[in-house]
Amino acid sequence: MEQVKVFTGQVRRHILAVLITNNIVIFAGWWIGQKGFDLDFTTLFVSLVIVSLIITVLIGLMSAYILSMPTKLIAQAILHVSPDEGGVGAPDQTKTYLGKLMVSKLCNDVYRIANVVQSVSLQKNNSPDLKANFIADSLPLPLIVLNKKLDIIFANAAALKYLHVSAEDITGKNLYSSLDLSFTTNDTFDTWYSKAKGDAVTTSQTWQRVRLKLGDKQTTVMFDLAAYYNKDNPQGYEILLTMFDHTQQYAQDDQAISFVALAVHELRTPLTLLRGYIEVFEEELEGKVSTELSDYLKKMKASAKQLSSFVSNILNVARIDADQLVFKLHQEDWADIVNAAVRDMLLRAQLQGVKINVEAEPNLPAVGVDRVSISEVLINLIDNAIKYHGKGNEIAIKLFATKDGFVETDIKDFGIGIPNSAMPNLFDKFYRSHRNVVQIGGTGLGLYLSKAIVTGHGGNIWVRSKENEGSTFSFTVLPFTKLADEQKKQDNGDIVRSAHGWIKNHSFYRR
Amino acid sequence: MPDNNQSAPFRPRKVLCIEDEHFIGELYQRALSKAGYDITLELDGLKGLELAQSGKYDIILLDLMLPTMTGIEVLRRLKDPKQTPGMHSKIIITTNLEQREAVRDDIEQQADGYIIKAEITPHELVTFLNNIS
Repeated sequence: MEQVKVFTGQVRRHILAVLITNNIVIFAGWWIGQKGFDLDFTTLFVSLVIVSLIITVLIGLMSAYILSMPTKLIAQAILHVSPDEGGVGAPDQTKTYLGKLMVSKLCNDVYRIANVVQSVSLQKNNSPDLKANFIADSLPLPLIVLNKKLDIIFANAAALKYLHVSAEDITGKNLYSSLDLSFTTNDTFDTWYSKAKGDAVTTSQTWQRVRLKLGDKQTTVMFDLAAYYNKDNPQGYEILLTMFDHTQQYAQDDQAISFVALAVHELRTPLTLLRGYIEVFEEELEGKVSTELSDYLKKMKASAKQLSSFVSNILNVARIDADQLVFKLHQEDWADIVNAAVRDMLLRAQLQGVKINVEAEPNLPAVGVDRVSISEVLINLIDNAIKYHGKGNEIAIKLFATKDGFVETDIKDFGIGIPNSAMPNLFDKFYRSHRNVVQIGGTGLGLYLSKAIVTGHGGNIWVRSKENEGSTFSFTVLPFTKLADEQKKQDNGDIVRSAHGWIKNHSFYRR
Repeated sequence: MPDNNQSAPFRPRKVLCIEDEHFIGELYQRALSKAGYDITLELDGLKGLELAQSGKYDIILLDLMLPTMTGIEVLRRLKDPKQTPGMHSKIIITTNLEQREAVRDDIEQQADGYIIKAEITPHELVTFLNNIS
């Protein structure tokens, strides 16, 4: 403020000096005119009026120039740094007579403020030199910047190293022509971008297990991809992509799955033959062998079938653990699916002397389920009920619509029940209840798998039990209408979910 | 299960079974013949493809792991109108192989059915085929 005070004083002195000078000139003119030239009053008055008018105009013009100069110079400094004004040069601070100190101080401040603003908002011209950006290049994660047309406008040092390319190789090229990305589901970068363009200003997304074949066509890298979208970004940075490498980890998972898949394949071939030959024996020997032998044959047949379900369970559990079990939900008749599963288990039930009663509420809504997977749940639960039927010789299955709009299935046995202490761990992997002290088959994968499948369908699974009175396993599935909105969003008509929940953006964040 | 015989079609339907596990092929042949089907066995992928391209068959049972040419390749060529014009046979994948979902999606789009062999008996296969129109 000191400089402003000085300036005010200067202005005050200037005005005072001008006014005094003006008055002196007029009085001097009067005196000279009267004494020196002896003019009459009228002539003297007229000439003095003319002279004073000229002097007033001249002094006014000069004062306006001198007094407005500081303001002009400061305004020029502001316009010089303004982004909207072109061609305004820097002010020449020596031009001012008044307020030199103030002008130089304020102009300096204007330039300092402008510098701060500039460094915050990167640069104001349209070709930012991101390469020179220390942060982008020092970031130890690959960073790729795309424009609206999905052309790569920048890749940082880590990205170039990760992708084994040079900046010239990819800068300016389209994302698709330079990076061959593949995703595990239909929910790809492309579908996300089309959606984001339509209805978001800024949004972000991550994908897991994204694969990319590198330029040499030999190496494949696997990573989690994260994208940030910024609509109409003034710098043209429409999308930022970054990659979190997991090549080694995912390759190991894949190998584990491949091993299980191979083992399952190898187990299934002899199993197919066993089941085929048992059927031949059953057919050829029907009525020709003793009841005892024919009973053994039935048991063989049921065991072989049980083994084939178990083998599939193993593979599915491996898939769940690697997050590779995916459900495709279709509109299905629930009673139809339950009856089919019961028919499948009929032989095993008969062998154990157990009757299965199905009681379905009429007019159940159609459900949205993956038929194969949800049948596995039913088969596992019915199988359990048969295993643990104890002295009860009945399994009661009830299907009904709940008040909150789900379709519930209760599978009740009247067997030995489950002690309270065992309840919390029942749905864990490899958990076997104390009931197994009695000779009962199974590995404890069934309930773990069932829970994952039911949860993946958007339903719940639980158990009520009383020792020596029996257990009721219940689970819910969603009516198809509840899922229908979701379906409209998928192009291929499938509703795809994984065992860990929806295959949607937020599920990746939740985990 | 005599009801399978009763529901078999009047004109014997021709089935080509491309299956490299000879014993499984035999079991299928036995059950299908009994049910009134006319079944041809083939152990080799490439030869299977040639037979299938002859257009004589109503149904083709196709394994995925085959010598000389994989089942996936056979399926692709059969469904490609340039390589197999006028393909009318129903193609059922019969395999014990679990495919990664992505691959299986692809197969499901092209094939008319996908059966895990260990999960059905030969008779159940007959019932399945009887229900294919």
